[in-house]
Amino acid sequence: MNDDSTYARDADGPEVSDGDGVDRRGFLQCMAWAGTGLVWTAAGGILSSRALGPASAEESALGFSFVQISDTHIGFKGEANKDALGTFEQAIARIKALDPAPSFIVHTGDITHTQKAGAFDTVTEALKGTKAERVFYIPGENDVFADGGKEYLGRFGGPAGTGWQSFDYKGVHFIGLINVLNFKAGGLGSLGQAQLDWLKKDVERLTSSTPVVVFAHVPLWAVYPKWGWVTDDGGQALSYLKRFGSVTVLNGHIHQIMQKVEGNISFHTALSTAFPQPAPGVGEGPGPVKVPAEQLRSVLGLREVNYVQGKTPLAVVDSTLA
Amino acid sequence: MNGNHRSIRARWLWRFGVLGTVGFSVLAVATRAPAGQSAHGTAASQMAQSVVVAAQAEPRIEITKHKFSRPTLTVPAGTTVTWLNRDEDVHTVVSTTQAFKSAGLETDEAYSYKFAKPGVYEYFCTLHPLMTGKVIVK
Repeated sequence: MNDDSTYARDADGPEVSDGDGVDRRGFLQCMAWAGTGLVWTAAGGILSSRALGPASAEESALGFSFVQISDTHIGFKGEANKDALGTFEQAIARIKALDPAPSFIVHTGDITHTQKAGAFDTVTEALKGTKAERVFYIPGENDVFADGGKEYLGRFGGPAGTGWQSFDYKGVHFIGLINVLNFKAGGLGSLGQAQLDWLKKDVERLTSSTPVVVFAHVPLWAVYPKWGWVTDDGGQALSYLKRFGSVTVLNGHIHQIMQKVEGNISFHTALSTAFPQPAPGVGEGPGPVKVPAEQLRSVLGLREVNYVQGKTPLAVVDSTLA
Repeated sequence: MNGNHRSIRARWLWRFGVLGTVGFSVLAVATRAPAGQSAHGTAASQMAQSVVVAAQAEPRIEITKHKFSRPTLTVPAGTTVTWLNRDEDVHTVVSTTQAFKSAGLETDEAYSYKFAKPGVYEYFCTLHPLMTGKVIVK
C-alpha cells in the first residue's frame, strides 16, 4: 500500500508551517470527505493517509493501529436514520474485518442517544466482539445529561473515577478528555480547571518527541462556536501540547469529517454511525439531517489510525459505510 | 418549588388538542391565577383546585432547530407552560436554579411546568447550552 495514494495533494500552502523540518503534507492528504476511504498512518509522529486497505508487512511488524468510532447514538429513532442500530452493527462488522485487528478502539462519545436502559450495554457488548484488546470510552453530552455522568463514570470513569485518563502504547501517549460535563446556560463545551491541571501534569514528564493523541467529544478547536462546536477552554489545553512534535486531536460531535492543522497539532472530527449533521452554518441550526436513503451510508462511517514506529506519519483513515 | 412537571409522549395529545387539561395527573391540570395575584398556594391547595379546567389554551414553546420559539415568555402566576420538542435531537428544559428540570425530550415529546410564584425563571437545554430562555411570571 502506497502511503501517498489516492488523496495525495502537493500542498505547500500557507497552512503548512515551515522551519522545523516536519513534512505535513501527509495531513493535507487526509481530506477524507464522505464517500471515501482513507487510512492515516503515523510515522515520525505525523499522521499521513493512504487508501483504506490491508497494512503493509512493515507496518504490521513495527506499528499498530486503532479505531475511532463516534456518535453511535444508540436509541436514535428519528427520520434521519430509522435503523441507527443497523448502521452501528455494520460499523462493528467493519471493525471485525480489519486485518490486522486494531490494538484498541476509542469511542469519542454520544455512545447513547438518551441514556436509555441498555443503550450502553448494546455498545459495550458489540465492541467486546471485536478483536481489540481494549476499548476506551469518552462521553458525549447525550451520555451524561440525564444523570450528570453518574452512569458513564461508573462504567468508564477509570481508576480515578474522573473519566479523563491517559495511557501509553508503543511509544505513543494517548489522552482522553471530557468536555461535556457541567454545561452552563449560554456556555460551551468545557474541560474545567481540575482537568486542565491534570493534563498539564500528565504531559510534563513526556519528551517533546513523544507522539501525542488526544480524544474528546466536542471539538477542541473552534469549528463553529455559534452552534456550540467548540470547547471554551480548549486553547488552554492545547497550549500544554504545543511543544510536542506531533499532536493528533480526534473529536466527534459534529458527525462529519473536518480537519485543521495548526502548528504541530492536527485536528480531525469523525463521522457518526447514526446520522449526519449539516456543514457548519448551513441551514438554521445543527441536528440530524435526512439524506436520500441510498446516500445515508456514504455519510456515516468510522476511522482507523495507524502508527508506524520510526516512520514519519501517524496515519488516519476514514471510511464510510457505503 | 416542587415539581408540577410531566414529561409525556405527547404526539397524540397535541394532535387531539387535549393540551394538558384532561388525562394528566391532577397536578398537571392548569388553574390560571388572575394576573397580579401572587400565588402562595402549596402543592396541596393546587391539587384542591385541580377540578377546574383551564378555559384558555396554555402557552406552548416549541423547540425547533435548537431554538425556543418564545425565548422570553411572560405569564401570570399559576400558568402551566409546555415545551414541545420538534427537533430530532434530544433536548431538555432545565432551570438555571434547578427549580424545574425535564427529562430528555425526544421528538414530539413535551414537558410542562406550572409556575406558581412570580419571578424570572431562566432555563436552558443541558445538552445544547446555547439554547436559553426565560419565563417571567407576574
